[in-house]
Order: sequence, then structure tokens, then C-alpha cells
Amino acid sequence: MTDVYRKWGRVVRYENGVTIHVEEAGEASETNGVFLAKPAQTRVSVPHTSQGPILESAGPTIEAFVAQTLLSVRPCTVERLIVSAGIARHEINGVTWTEESQRVHISLTQSPLRVLVDLASFDLAMIEKIATALARAGHERKPPGPVRLAPNVAAAILPSLIGELAMEQTGRGLDGRGQPIETRAVTADPPPNWYRPGYAVQPVRAWLNIRALPFGSIDKRAPLAIALLGPAEGTMLRVLCDDGEAVFPTIVEAGRIAAVSRDEPAWYPYAAGSFGAEMML
Amino acid sequence: MHGQARQHGQVIEATDARDERLVRACDDAIDAVTSAIAALRDARVRTVVRATRENGVESVETTMTITIGGLSVVTTPADVPIDSALLHVLAEAKPAMSIRSLPIVWQNGSAAVLLHEAIGHANEHGSAPVSWPSWLSVDAPLVTRRETFRDAPLPRMKHLVARQTGAPFAPPSQHIEVQLIAGGAYDPVTDVVTINVAVSTAGPFTIRRTRAQIAAALAGAVGEPVRYPGVICSREGQELYVASHAPVMITEALT
Repeated sequence: MTDVYRKWGRVVRYENGVTIHVEEAGEASETNGVFLAKPAQTRVSVPHTSQGPILESAGPTIEAFVAQTLLSVRPCTVERLIVSAGIARHEINGVTWTEESQRVHISLTQSPLRVLVDLASFDLAMIEKIATALARAGHERKPPGPVRLAPNVAAAILPSLIGELAMEQTGRGLDGRGQPIETRAVTADPPPNWYRPGYAVQPVRAWLNIRALPFGSIDKRAPLAIALLGPAEGTMLRVLCDDGEAVFPTIVEAGRIAAVSRDEPAWYPYAAGSFGAEMML
Repeated sequence: MHGQARQHGQVIEATDARDERLVRACDDAIDAVTSAIAALRDARVRTVVRATRENGVESVETTMTITIGGLSVVTTPADVPIDSALLHVLAEAKPAMSIRSLPIVWQNGSAAVLLHEAIGHANEHGSAPVSWPSWLSVDAPLVTRRETFRDAPLPRMKHLVARQTGAPFAPPSQHIEVQLIAGGAYDPVTDVVTINVAVSTAGPFTIRRTRAQIAAALAGAVGEPVRYPGVICSREGQELYVASHAPVMITEALT
């Protein structure tokens, strides 16, 4: 049996001074182990959503966000700023659904340090807070004893902790094969759902929208790792840490989590989706 | 995929418009690839054909990544026989020594990767100049390139060709020979070059040095530039092929 997946999408993306409007459609199928993807030559009107035609306002919204971001991070150097808003319609096996997305990636430097921030919303306050901390950063220190991971940092490490930490897949929406994403405990078994980041990419089984289950108590006096200074390498994180008096780079081993906050987590674009809530090591 | 991008100032309008002539050019190139890899029975091959027209100039580029025994080279249909043979030899090679601090002889044009990171990428980022040996000249022009119609064009290396003129060449009896590189990187914030060696007489290892340290370590070279089998260069998420050539070179210990 051949299931044909189709996708129509539009995105507006600001990338280091250039704004790119992209409109494309594609389809993919898999027959006897052969995955075939190609542009689709059928045109449909990408629907407006309950929030209105987001792409009509995406350009000005992105422009305003970029301008505010560039102003708010002025103590630091912007090495890379990518901001996008998009809408896509998916179809497979007669099931159709629409997704909207916002993404921000910013790399800020204050030699010799670089912070990396990835967001799924235009959260200017978080970027400003991190930039301010980076501007104050001192010399490298040994990792403090207990340390808290801010939600944006915790979300980055979560995919590396599958099997090590109690977590669940959060039910919402449909997966890359049009199957409902249901709330399930994340286990060592093959994930029930499929991750398809683009029509030209063969879908793979993955836990989607993972979140750590709350436990223990967070010591709010512990220093807070507020941003990543590089991509997570397994469970090793190089982070920018704020102990209330000083800001400093350090390396923490996040293999053993002592507590996960009960606060409402926020979704971050790591792996196949990761909810970040404050955690303590 | 196919598409078209039109740029007006700092705004690009990109759609997946189809150009029959370019699609045919891709199909023709794929046919050539199919015959080139017909004899490869033990390899994984990833082929990318790009047919482009920019400001009226058309070009077709075919790059093939061949993987055998966990090692990869990037090649073209014409070079498949020689590069796959090299890969078979390297996949069978066993380290003759453990890694230690010894001078390095860069074989097979592999020094081109070192210079790609230390000179080519540093130029792309406008990094401060470093003093290189007078016997070394490097041709690595920057041109505007993009991976797909969806991407913002960036100043990227067109190719890299390193040459030596009157360089010394006296490899010491104890040295490491590098044959194949797994990957490299240049960090403009720290000015550090990272090279991951895939195959050497001391096995795989990693080099992390500043550009100034690398320049100071260049100790000699011999002969004409040798084609290195493949550099797929990734920057800002855009992967592009950069043809790379360098003579056999010697550096002081960098491990």
C-alpha cells in the first residue's frame, strides 16, 4: 500500500538582514522500502486560521521583532539571527490538518563566549535577559553544587535523557503520518508516532513533544543556568550560569536530575519537540 | 526539489516553480551517475545534482558522497573509480602507532581541509590576517552561493587550491601520516580551527588550534596540488561542494 503525503507551505524568514518569502508544495510516498519525494505541482490556497491570515501580518511582525531584538541585545554582538513565521497544510490518507509555527534562533557573542537561543515564540524578554547576562559574564568557573536549569536549557537536554528520566509524550495534534499524538509514558519501546520535519525527509519513529514529569523540589537559591554556550553533547552542557551575584560560564553534567518544577512548561524546537520546565541537578 | 528565487534589495521571493530545461539537465546528469556507480556493490552513495541558472548563466553540478566501512569521500562521476578504490584501501588500513605528539604529513591533498578552515572560512568571516609561510599561496575566491532557492546567498568559497613554491620538505623519520579527514570547523569567535582526522597512521584524532598556531606549524610541502576527494562545506545550514587541492604538506605536531 502506498500512502501519499502532501504538504503545502508558506513561510516568511528573516535571516541576517535578508527577508525570504517561500511558498512551496511537495509530496512523498514510500513503496516497497523506497522513499520518493518530489515537488507537487498542484496549488491550493493555504487556509487562514482562526487567528486570521497570519502571513499577511508575518512580515511586519517579524520586522518589528527583529528591530526590537537588535536593540535589546546591543551589549553583545549578533552573530546570527533567524526569525520565521509559517503556515503549512498537510494531507495523508484523507486526513488534513494545518500547523502554524514561529521560530527564533539567535547566536550572541561576547568574545570568547557565544550563547545559542532557540525559541518557538517571539519572546523578546528572554533574549534581552540572556543578552544582559552575557554582557556581564566573567571567567570560567567550576560547576556549582546544586544548579538549576532554566526551561530553555532544560528543554535542550531532555531528548538526551530519554530512558534516564521519567517523562511523557504530550498529546496534541497529529504526527507525520496523520496519526493522533496521544499522551503516553516515554519508554524504551519504539515510539508510537512518526516525526516528519519536511516532505523530502523520510519520517522516523520518535517521541514527540516530550516533557519531564515533575518531582522533588527546586531550591530557588541554587545558581541558574540561563543559556546554552554550545549545543548539548549528550548530557554535558556548557552553560551561562547566574548565581545572583556573578555570571560565569561553566560545564555541567546533566545526567542526574534532582528535581523537575511543577510550573507550566513551554514548548521548544529541540528534536521532535521538547517542553522545558525548570530542573535542578 | 526545484524552485525559483527573485531578489529585490534585501527581500527574496521564492517559489517552487518548475523549469523544464533545468529538470532535464538534472535527469541527464542522474543517468550519468547511475552508470558510474553501477559497479559499487558495497558502498552507500548519496548523489546531489544541481542545475541552476543565475543571471542567464547555467551550470550543472554533480556531487556524490560514497561511504564504505564508515568512511566517506565526496566525488564526481569521473572520479568514482579512483576515489572508491582509495576508500577501500583506507577502510582496510590499521593504525601503525598510537596517537602522540609528532609532526604530521598531510597526504592525498588533505591539507586543503586544514587551509579551507584556517584561510577560507576565516576570509568568509573577515577575520584578522595571520602570517602564513612565504612559500604558500592559496587561491580560495569568495563568490555568492546558495544551496537551494529557499536560501539566502552568502559569500562562500568557490574552490580552494593551495600551492607551494620552493618550500622545504624534510619529513622526520617519526611522523604521523594523515590520509582522510572526517570534518572540520572554524570558530570566528575563538579563532580556533578544529579538524577531525578519520584515517591516519595513528588512527582517528582531533586537532584544535588557533589559526596563528597552525600557520606557525606549517613546516613544508612538496609537489603539485593533489585533488582531495571531497569537501562538503556547511555554513549557516547550507551545504555546498568546494573543490579542494593541496600539495603534500608537513606541519609540526598539532595533537
